[in-house]
Amino acid sequence: MPGFDFSNYNRNAALHARGVPLPKATSTGTTIVGCIFDGGVGIAADTRATSGPIVADKNCEKLHYISPNIWCAGAGTAADTEFTTALISSQLELHSLSTGRKPRVVTCMTMLKQHLFRYQGHIGAYLVVAGVDPTGTHLFTVHAHGSTDKLPYVTMGSGSLAAMSVFESQWQPSLNRDQAVKLCADAIEAGIWNDLGSGSNVDVAIITADKTTLRRNYIKPNERTAKLRSYVFPKGTTAVLNEKIIPKGDLGKFISVEELTEEGGDKMEVDT
Amino acid sequence: MPSPFSINGGACVAMVGKDCVAIACDLRLGLQALTVSNNFPKVFQYGDNVFLGLTGLATDVSTVSDLFRYKVNMYRLREERHIAPRTFANLVSSSLYERRFGPYFVSPVVAGLDPKTGAPFICGFDSIGCIDFAQDFIVSGTATDQLFGMCESLWEPGLGPDELFETISQALLNAVDRDALSGWGAHVYIIEKDKVTKRLLKGRQD
Amino acid sequence: MPEVLLGITGKDFTLIAASKAAMRGATILKAADDKTRQLNKHTLMAFSGEAGDTVQFAEYIQANAQLYSMRNETDLSPSALAHFVRGELASSLRSRKPYNVNLLLGGVDPITHQPSLYWLDYLASLAPVPYAAHGYAQYYCLSLLDKHHQPDITLERGMELLTLCADELKRRLPIDFKGLIVKAVTKDGIKEMPFDNDKVVKGT
Repeated sequence: MPGFDFSNYNRNAALHARGVPLPKATSTGTTIVGCIFDGGVGIAADTRATSGPIVADKNCEKLHYISPNIWCAGAGTAADTEFTTALISSQLELHSLSTGRKPRVVTCMTMLKQHLFRYQGHIGAYLVVAGVDPTGTHLFTVHAHGSTDKLPYVTMGSGSLAAMSVFESQWQPSLNRDQAVKLCADAIEAGIWNDLGSGSNVDVAIITADKTTLRRNYIKPNERTAKLRSYVFPKGTTAVLNEKIIPKGDLGKFISVEELTEEGGDKMEVDT
Repeated sequence: MPSPFSINGGACVAMVGKDCVAIACDLRLGLQALTVSNNFPKVFQYGDNVFLGLTGLATDVSTVSDLFRYKVNMYRLREERHIAPRTFANLVSSSLYERRFGPYFVSPVVAGLDPKTGAPFICGFDSIGCIDFAQDFIVSGTATDQLFGMCESLWEPGLGPDELFETISQALLNAVDRDALSGWGAHVYIIEKDKVTKRLLKGRQD
Repeated sequence: MPEVLLGITGKDFTLIAASKAAMRGATILKAADDKTRQLNKHTLMAFSGEAGDTVQFAEYIQANAQLYSMRNETDLSPSALAHFVRGELASSLRSRKPYNVNLLLGGVDPITHQPSLYWLDYLASLAPVPYAAHGYAQYYCLSLLDKHHQPDITLERGMELLTLCADELKRRLPIDFKGLIVKAVTKDGIKEMPFDNDKVVKGT
């Protein structure tokens, strides 16, 4: 269980009461989707992370590893999705080691929802959980307050409406692997183009009974064009007042020797 | 009362070069519009090639830098080796997330070289420990918006140590000149396989 | 905020000055207050802030500094003390009722004889500085000191700069801060300096 440290809470609450705004966390104002197909499940995500209106990371990873056969796509507060999935992944691995069974998707989903419900929505993780286990193929969504859904196709994040429009118009009850991957990628692209909180590339993970394939940057529709001109400055452009070269492994960095002056106390007596 | 991230002011930036990395910070410490000190460095060294830049609330900059000095020293005693930049980044991340509901008001930046491969490594964090692994540059502080603009236009792949120094220096200097809360001189570290060069830049004093 | 704290370092000394008025609201309770405490032979701390908090915190620090000196038969350096004080203030900041104290810590290193001055505010921001001020005095004096201060000034010149600052404060501050108490830290220890508080400054 995470031991959160609340020792700064009172200070920050007092500051907040005096009108100080809360810190801006990096959020994955995201598009994430998942879709079941015949023989497996696919999930996909965009790769933009934002801090307010600023794009903080143009190629972040929103597909999180839980176990070899279970993966998670995360939206909401980036730190929360990162740490919540890492925590459950670790607990699930210990659980599967002690039971000697492969981890199940429902177990993962239940652990996530119980963790998130305990924190009453303050942990802002919105997740798509997908995987294949001995009981079959599963796809869930988990909301920050602890509610869950089980559906054949799901979308989450600020781009969920754009992505869902693709699923609602193109999804069919029976899909093969390639059709499902294409559908997921198209849904993410709908988010990338039509939702300001989503952008950059498409990441896809395809989970089947025998293996999981992570396609990082499956589609890169926003490649940066090479600059037409170089802005490298000639050496000596910047005025330098002082320069110090520190060679590696310099002991002096950790120990400083000071000479004692005459009046700096009596000489130490040494046995002869 | 303003945001705790902009009471004291300050800016920090890290960049990747060819077989080298750079990290730089301004030197101002202020109380809103009043400058109290022009010698408040925000970049700290935690090993031969592990550097941490911290901007935000000055008291937390000091507290967090001291906390990591303690944690890194304990790591060195336990493991009998220096901490690697990637390991240090995960230490920073989990230490900040531990205080998810009462964070330190800092925006850290880590820069260094992998001790085994010598590969450049930089990353940034939000105040609750979400890591931003960038392949190009990381910015933080009250001049974030200006730094994003400077870096996005000046940075290019494969810069050598000398070129990288000019690029990061010009990016920082010109960004802080458009931020009232940062500036007043700068420190620039160029980290290479066999040496680290620390330079004090001449900056505007207004 | 109307309390005045000033600090100046020079070639071989650190000067600390503090206003003598003890105020409660609009009333002056005392005209010869000493807002400084000696931490050890070479370190002096001046404080301002919320009544009660200030003396309580300063004397807590003073007691701990003296305890350290007794236990270890050696004094903490000004730098070590500054970081200790910062640590105490930073942990107080995270408590239910934090100390509201601003500090200046001046000293001379007992070994290197290097003078130093540390500026600390109630948020536990710590900065080593060549000269410093707290409260409204910052707005009047930092600009003066920025223009006239040199790192290698003599004690006499340091006193002149303090007079310059005091004159400006008398001219600009709307309330009477009852003059300054001035103490000098040198390698020989701490001594109170004579300071003419009765000098009449003409308004502009």
